[in-house]
This record gives sequence, structure tokens and C-alpha cells, in this order.
Amino acid sequence: MADLLTRPFSWLNLLYISLAAVIMLGIVLFFVTYAIYFERKVIGWIQIRYGPNRVGPKGLLQTVADVFKLLIKEDIIPEKADKALFRIGPMLAYLPAFAVIAVIPYSEKIQFADVNVGILYYAALSSITITGILLGGWASNNKYAIMGGMRSVAQMISYEVPLIMSFLGIVIMTGSLNLIDIVEAQKDSTWFIFPQIIGFITFLIAGNAELNRTPFDLPEAENELVAGYFVEYSGFRFAFYYLTEYVYVFAMASLMTVLFLGGWDAPFGLDFIPGIIWFILKFMLLVFYLFWVRATFPRVKTNQLMGFAWKVLIPVALFNVLLTAVLKILNVY
Amino acid sequence: MFTKKRGEINVWGKGLLQGLGLTFRYLKEPKVTIQYPDEEYVLPNRFRGIQYLDPEKCIVCNQCARICPTNSITLSGKPNPDPEKKGRVLDTYEINFEICILCDLCTEVCPTEAIKMTNKFELASYSRDNLLKDKKWLENNNTNVREANH
Amino acid sequence: MELRTEEMLLNIGPQHPSTHGVFRVVVKVDGEKIVEATPVVGYLHRGTEKIAESLTYTQIIPYTDRLDYLSSMLNNYALVQAVEELMNIEVPERAEYLRVIVMELSRLASHFVWWGTAVLDLGATTPFIFAFRDRELILDLLNEISGARMTFNYMRVGGVKWDAPEGWLEKVRDFIPYMRKKLKEYHQLVTGNEIFLARVKNLAVYDGETAIKYGLSGPNLRGSNVKFDIRKNQPYSIYDRFEFEIPVGENGDVFDRYMVRMKEMEQSLKIIEQAVDQIPEGEIQAKLPRVLRVPEGEVYTRMETSKGELGIHLVSKGKDKPYRLHFRRPSFINLQIFSDLLVGNTMADLPAILGAIDIVLGEVDA
Ligand code: SF4
Ligand code: SF4
Repeated sequence: MADLLTRPFSWLNLLYISLAAVIMLGIVLFFVTYAIYFERKVIGWIQIRYGPNRVGPKGLLQTVADVFKLLIKEDIIPEKADKALFRIGPMLAYLPAFAVIAVIPYSEKIQFADVNVGILYYAALSSITITGILLGGWASNNKYAIMGGMRSVAQMISYEVPLIMSFLGIVIMTGSLNLIDIVEAQKDSTWFIFPQIIGFITFLIAGNAELNRTPFDLPEAENELVAGYFVEYSGFRFAFYYLTEYVYVFAMASLMTVLFLGGWDAPFGLDFIPGIIWFILKFMLLVFYLFWVRATFPRVKTNQLMGFAWKVLIPVALFNVLLTAVLKILNVY
Repeated sequence: MFTKKRGEINVWGKGLLQGLGLTFRYLKEPKVTIQYPDEEYVLPNRFRGIQYLDPEKCIVCNQCARICPTNSITLSGKPNPDPEKKGRVLDTYEINFEICILCDLCTEVCPTEAIKMTNKFELASYSRDNLLKDKKWLENNNTNVREANH
Repeated sequence: MELRTEEMLLNIGPQHPSTHGVFRVVVKVDGEKIVEATPVVGYLHRGTEKIAESLTYTQIIPYTDRLDYLSSMLNNYALVQAVEELMNIEVPERAEYLRVIVMELSRLASHFVWWGTAVLDLGATTPFIFAFRDRELILDLLNEISGARMTFNYMRVGGVKWDAPEGWLEKVRDFIPYMRKKLKEYHQLVTGNEIFLARVKNLAVYDGETAIKYGLSGPNLRGSNVKFDIRKNQPYSIYDRFEFEIPVGENGDVFDRYMVRMKEMEQSLKIIEQAVDQIPEGEIQAKLPRVLRVPEGEVYTRMETSKGELGIHLVSKGKDKPYRLHFRRPSFINLQIFSDLLVGNTMADLPAILGAIDIVLGEVDA
């Protein structure tokens, strides 16, 4: 499938490419719909409630109804807002979120683009989203929104550093930035979660912060900032911000599966189950983890968050890089 | 005074893990939600819902209207149509549920238990006018009436 | 290079998720730091004190339900206590015991709401639901005895409205071990959590002297290591018969106030346990004339609610209605220190500090 891009240009190929993108969008939207449903269910169960259970059988259509409601809502742009930026904000936040999905290999065959610098592409594109969030916060001309936007920029920039550093260990081990190579390398040896346990933990924490989810959901801290950067947004623009958040959950969980959990690699030699199922299982585990944490922890404070990133996570991640490099030279790997 | 127990090791992150363990355990705990409109919410007999009125018993003594802290009861009597009997009978009786705070004082003072509490509490309505309940409505509100006022 | 910054005026409330009602605070922020804060209260003012002047004493009781609506039983008691003091009424034993049981249950319910919301303000959602689950059990118990879930109107001058229904005391007794187990879970979920600790330790510290100067009472005072609880220092009702401790904090930070309340819940359970064991049979209402005429005089009575000292200043001119009735509302007075605590802290601390003060707007605005 990935060779589509390298074939000579023809209208048919363009059609295939667009079709593949649309299918992927469908899958992602489906995921987001049910991730939200699943999240509400999990949190509900933890909180001894049922979670959504009224719209559709077992509440399965709840998110559909919610999204439908958002779409038919009146489109409100505050009078004092910067209209152009206000419109661009959600789009700018969403586009990179969808674009990063292209490089993630889901199984041997299912991948959209085999980019040589896969992780780098991911890291680079995902930072563009920050601009969208800051724009939204700034353009709303609301004090809560601007505070939320600023918090989010500070947070995302700080956490990008440990995030990237924590997968540097893997890059050193495999000598490649290509995600498929990384999975293949794990097939040959073991999943990188074991040799790279420090990297995995830092990635888990930094990834959580990067996703703006509890306990790092400061930009939208309900109890301080009401809703943070999207406080003025409603209707489908709000839906876009919301979607962005969950698409990133999708992307981040996929990336983590690929980097640390061996992608589609079957454990214990259980090869007869197709790789894609393994991928989905591991992926779900990580997504569940995110929801579980959300139901358990309180939120950290801005200064603690920054202090934690610069004083704890980055040194630890750096140490991990160093350790990996030394072990590599000593030929342990 | 909030000292730790002796021998308790305190590693950073222990509390976090404890919390995670607890919430994980709760995943399969039975749910406490009552599916309200489908499932009936059972209220104890003493519950103070909307009043039931028995106009036959009322002796128009006006005590309920006087005790009401929000003045939500208005009532009037007329001479007994049966000339043989003395006393007055109830003519009109209205409770304004916009302001009634369901405090139970009216039922407490009523000497004949003409007015009693019921377990009905669903008063939601689209218009404020619907909240003014008259004698007839109160008389028909005769399900789940409280057994004793005192 | 000097960065040019500007202070920003931020209006938090009256509609804001963490102001617990309709409380408004205008803060001047420098980035995230708060440099000035002005609380604005009064959005829920109903003039209870003035209304009370035109009501008979029995009619005022339902109004006290609506002051601190999270612990109405305690407010009920405050009023009847004042009237009984002025009229010199001997309340039957059983009534006193019932009062203590429902009051302590009410205190627990109020502390549950505080625990749930204070931690919710820090961003954790699950504790809130847990607290409400347990509060629900208390409300069911109180519903059974008084006929209402929040606005009980249960106490009467000289006694209580109802005797405990059959089996009620057993239910209360069963509730105690259940709650002890749940309190452990509360600690497991929140108290040890490192994120929580990092947020509340050494936050908004004041010492006992400052607390007294501000007139603080209740856990806000005890958190700063002042051992003052009216139930012990000036026992009312029959509190001198029970064995319980007064937990105090050491440093006077948000965490100590948190811990004081958590320990207080345990003590409340202990009191209920003793009361349920000791309760005698007998009358629940003293013999009183139908119309209560309080002799001319003036009285100030006080009691310990879940928020602090609830005092009642009652002036009577010998009529069936009070000449003047004043409530010393602990929430209102505890709130006075709020703006001073905010200065120098960040926006994220605002809900934490407000949560630790534990206000109820119904009582603040009266
Ligand atoms: S319940 Fe209270 S407020 Fe309602 S009518 Fe009776 S006395 Fe008046
Ligand atoms: S107190 Fe009872 S008897 Fe008297 S007027 Fe009211 S309802 Fe009738």
C-alpha cells in the first residue's frame, strides 16, 4: 500500500490515494467516537456509575448524538474576537493531528507512508498543533482562553523535549528513524519496553502531558480556567478541538505501541492471530491506561509541571540516552 | 500528629499506585446508580412530598394557613349546606407550589389530619400556572399518603 | 532585556465551576500569579434575618435549613438551642440523643461534600462521586427519620419532631463500620497521592494567632494548631458525655485543614457509635404551650457546625416572634481570610484554597 506514493502519477492512483485517506479518516473518526464512549464508560465504571447507556443499545450512539448536536449548533464567533484567526485555529490544530497518522504502521501491510524519518515527522508535525491552540486562545479575546493557550504552549514545548529524548534510546539501538525498521528490530530481539524501560516511562508521562490529559490537563483546567483555550468555541469548531485531542490519543497510543510494544509483533509465538489484532490489543491497553489515570489523579500545577519536565524528566531521559549509548558501545545490545 | 506508621516505607509514587489500584478494583464494583425514570425511587413513609387534602375532614380552622411560613395556603370556608349541622365546610383551598417549601408545618398543626403529606414529589411543569394546585387536585392526589402525621 | 508585562483583571464567578455556587472574586493576575483579590458576596442573599423577625419560632426552623444547606440539622439545632436557652427548657434525654446522632450524621454529610468538591477542584473527579455515594446513605437515613433529604426541619423547640422509626438506630449502627472502611479508601485514593500532596502542602499557610485575629473557627482554626472546638470547650447539648478527640494540624496549610476534617469524620463516627449505644427510651418532646412566647431577654448561644462556630444572637421582647435574630455564620467569617491567602499564589491555587476554607454560599450570603 505504501508504494502508492512512489508509483508514477495517474488519475487512478490519485483516486486510490484519496480513497485511502478517506478510509483512514473514517477509521479515525470511528475510533474517536468509540474512544469517547469507552472513556466515559471506563470512568463511569470506576465511579460506580453506568456511563452513557440511553442513546442506542447500551448507549453506543451517545457520541454520535453528541457530535450531531455539535454540528447543528449555531456557529458563534464572539464580537470582539479576531475572526480570521478564530476560524483558522481549530483547523490548524486538527490538520497535523490527522497528518501524523500517515506514518504509523499498523501491520506489515497496512501503512500509508513509509517515511524514512517517521518519528521525526511525527514530532515535527505534532508541534504545529500548538500554534492552532495558541491561535484559538488568542483570537477568542477571552482572558481564560488566553491563559489556557499560554499554558498549553508552555507545556507542550517543555514536554516535547523529553518526549523526543525518550525515544532517542530506541533510535540508538536500531540505528533508524523508520518506524517499520523499529518494529522489525523488535521482532528480532525483544520489545523495547524491556531494555528501554526508563525511556518507556518517560515517554508515557511526557506523552500524557503532550496530550493535555489529566493529570496534565492544565490548558483546559475546568476548575480554574473554565475550559481554557476553547472556552469561546462552540458548534463544529469546538468539535474540531475535541477531535484533535482524541486523534492525538489515537496517534500517541499507536506510536507507543510501535515504539515500545513491538507493533504488530505477536508475543509468545502466538503468530496465528493476525498482527493487526495484536496491534489493536496493545493499543487499547495504552488507551485504557490514559482513561484510568484520568479517573484517578488530580491535576498538577503549572509550576510543578514545568519543574517536573525540566528537572526530572529531561535529566532522566538524557541519562537513558547516555546509558543506551554506553551499552551500545559495550555491545550489550 | 499525622505521623506514619513505623516500618512504613515511603517511595515516591506509592500513593499514585495505591490510587490506581483502588480505581482498578472499582471497575467491577456493583453500580449504585438508580435508573430513575425507569426504576422507581422508593421513599420512606415519612417523606414530605405534595400534600393530600381530605375536604370532608377539614373544619376550616385556618391553622394551616397561619402556620405556613411562606403563606402559600389560601383557603375559604362557607356555612355548612346541611342546616342540621353546625360549623363550616371548606369552599376553596389552594396551595401555591411555587413558594411552598414542603416544610411539613401545615400537616403538623392540622387538628383533624385533613391535610397530609404524600410521597409524590414530581412537580416539574412547563408553566408556573400549573403549580397552583386547588382543592380538587389535592383531593385527587391520594396515592402514597402518609399514615400518621405525628 | 526587561519583559514588558501587564496585569490583568480577571472576574471569576459568579458563574464559575469552582466557586461552589454564586461566589464572585475579582482577581488581578500577573501572568498566573495573583497580586490582588476582592471577593464579592451577596448573590444569594435572601434576608433570612429580617424575614425571621416576622415569623414565629417554629416557622423560622425551616428557614435555618436553608442557611448551610449541606448540614441543615446543625442549623436547626442552633436556633432551638437559643430559644431553649432563653426559655429555660429541659429537653428530654432521648430527644437530645437523637439530636446528637442526626447532627453528627449531618456533619459527616457536609464533610463528604467538602471532601468531594475540594478534591474535585484539584481536578480529580472520582473522589467526588465516592463522597456523594456515601453522603447518599446518610441522606437516606435522615430522610427516613425526618421526611426530607436536605431541608429536614426536624428539630423543634423542646425536642424533635419524630422519634426514630423502627430499625433506624440499627441502620445507623451498621453504617459506622461501613463508613470506617470507606474512609480508608478515601485516604488511599487521595491523601497519599503525591500530586495531591504537592499541591496542598505548604499552601496558604497561616498560624493560629492570625486565624484567631481573623475570627476563623472550625477546621480552619484547628488546622493551625489551635485546639478549639465548642463541643469540648463549651459543651452544649450532651456532648460532654461522649468521648472524642479534637484533631488539630501542625503547620496551618491546606493539607492540615484537609487532614483535620478527615480526622473529624472519624471522631463523628465515634460519637454516633456511643450515642446509638447509650440512647435511652422516653419522651422526645418537652411539654410546652401551643404558642411559644419567649420571655424578654437577650442571648448568644453558639455551637460547632461542620464549618465552624455558628452563633445565634436572639433578642426577644416577650412576643411569639423574635425582635432580632442574628446568625454568626462561620462560612462568611472564614471567608474573610480568603483574599489575603490568595495574594502571591497562582491561579491554580485559587480553587484549592477556596476548597480548603469550605464555604457554603447559602450561609455566606444568608
Ligand atoms: S408544607 Fe410548609 S410551606 Fe408548604 S404549604 Fe405547608 S406549611 Fe406552607
Ligand atoms: S389545619 Fe386542617 S382542618 Fe384546619 S383549615 Fe387547615 S386543613 Fe382544614
